[in-house]
Amino acid sequence: MNTVFQIGLTVLMFGSLFSVLTLSLNLQYARGGMINFGTVAYFAAGAYAYAIVTQEPPHGLDQYLVGLDMPWWVGFIAAGIAAMAFAILTGWPTLRLRGEYLALTTFAFAEMLNSLLVNERGIGNGTVGLANVERPDANILGLSENIVYALAAFALMLATAYAFRRLLASPYGRAVDAIRDDEVAAQAIGKDIARLRFQVFVISSIPIGFAGALYAMITTLVNPDLFSAEVTFFVWIALVLGGERTLLGVVIGTMALVGFQEVIRAIPFESVRAAEIAASAEDIVTGILFIVILRWQPFSALARRRQAA
Amino acid sequence: MTLLAQYALTGVVTGCFLILATIGFSLTRQVEGFLNIAHAEMLGVSAFITWGLNAGAGWPIIPSAVVAIVATALIGLFIGRVVYDPIRKLGPAVVLISSVGVAYVIAGLMHAIIGTGIRTLDIPLATTYKFFGLRITNYQMIVVGLAALTGISLALFLNRTKTGLAIRAMSANPELAASRGIDVRQTSRATWLLSSGLAGLAGVMLALIATLSTDIAFHQILQILAVAILAGLGSLYSVIVAGLIVGIAMDVSVFWIPAGYRPLIAFSVVIIALLVRPEGLSMKRRS
Repeated sequence: MNTVFQIGLTVLMFGSLFSVLTLSLNLQYARGGMINFGTVAYFAAGAYAYAIVTQEPPHGLDQYLVGLDMPWWVGFIAAGIAAMAFAILTGWPTLRLRGEYLALTTFAFAEMLNSLLVNERGIGNGTVGLANVERPDANILGLSENIVYALAAFALMLATAYAFRRLLASPYGRAVDAIRDDEVAAQAIGKDIARLRFQVFVISSIPIGFAGALYAMITTLVNPDLFSAEVTFFVWIALVLGGERTLLGVVIGTMALVGFQEVIRAIPFESVRAAEIAASAEDIVTGILFIVILRWQPFSALARRRQAA
Repeated sequence: MTLLAQYALTGVVTGCFLILATIGFSLTRQVEGFLNIAHAEMLGVSAFITWGLNAGAGWPIIPSAVVAIVATALIGLFIGRVVYDPIRKLGPAVVLISSVGVAYVIAGLMHAIIGTGIRTLDIPLATTYKFFGLRITNYQMIVVGLAALTGISLALFLNRTKTGLAIRAMSANPELAASRGIDVRQTSRATWLLSSGLAGLAGVMLALIATLSTDIAFHQILQILAVAILAGLGSLYSVIVAGLIVGIAMDVSVFWIPAGYRPLIAFSVVIIALLVRPEGLSMKRRS
């Protein structure tokens, strides 16, 4: 019972956290038509910004140069700003590229950021990363830390979903949809496509930065290994799993994927080899799920049927 | 100065390997119309079949390599028919994401079968030769030689044979090719065999010049993507130029910048190239 509760809590925590990423990706891809294969970069930018802002100034063996020792909420805001800044930096030159070219360039930018974090020890101790990242004291609320952070992640997810929903229901959202459906027509009625796409890209990266800060609080550690391209693939799989375009589907897809991984991780293994095989099995099943879902698209078929009825 | 020239020479070898690795990828991109992320995993498949036959079963290297290349070509054809053919009509983005799924499956299988750790082939140690103060090993020369040979035979194949011309027609304009009586399905199968076979060849080269681990493929895909974007969509000749540019840029950069940035250089070249010329080196547009 206790393990089930623990797994449930972990799924709620990381599921909500990654749902923020999937929701943002959904806005970029399903609404804005942009394939961002560098999602992890904005996540990493947020986490590192939070860690650097809240970290004490370096001493001893530390190789990082800046630690501002500010309260957590300053770090949280800084994380959003950092992700936004990185989105402006990367979006401005690349968004005129189309489809897969955009996918590859964003992917490249994410790899570059990762490489910078590994090689420039002045940012965050290189591969060692920043440990003991500060986080607000959860005991004030009288609940265990895991519950508080799970609730915080859930709240961030709800806030993101609400904000995006409001945005998409507004005339602005309809302009975004118009561009996705027919660029020429949208341009003909005077919508500035490049500008709208850029705005969607930047706006949707802000919650990713916040999620990064929360992730740093939960793990109390940031290092380049945590922010590899696997995170990007993970979020994409979740998006595909949930079926794009509906906010609820996106969230359920992410939760299902996190749950699936947590259940496999909770199985005790006798040997290293068995654990290794289980880890590979996780990859294989994830991959097959991916292929099967894309091929038969059960979720969109379901949605179509509901519409027809 | 010699040091710089040495780096440039190593860069040429890297470039030749990248050409071998990317040609198949570009071919798939042109004929099948999508970016096959799983292409790099095929390199791994071939490298590990070679390793299994050579170091595991004790075969000599050449038959192991031949079997590995043929097996990889067939596996590629199988995946192409089972996974990609039915979803091609759903558009390139869906197929691209599916190929990530395929990459996951292949990587997971390799991990399960082979496990972690570093492997090497059971072949004699490399002999180093010196020309004008520049060092090159015999295996590196094999890579350069095979890249040149592959480039020439591929050019002959695509320009002189019926299947080759059909592949080129398909890549230029699939609808027109179909309406002019080219057997689209057969050409697509030939392409899968050819591109996976080329991945197999590149995988064998990888086994020759590098130590193998199961996550090796992932590091290759980044560079393959870099070369492929730089080359753009046009002819296969631009892949040769792009491969050499990326290879030399990566290795020569080590002269000035820490070696940790080597992979980053590949992408810096690409990003700069894309910003200056969004259609790639070949300047061709796809309709």
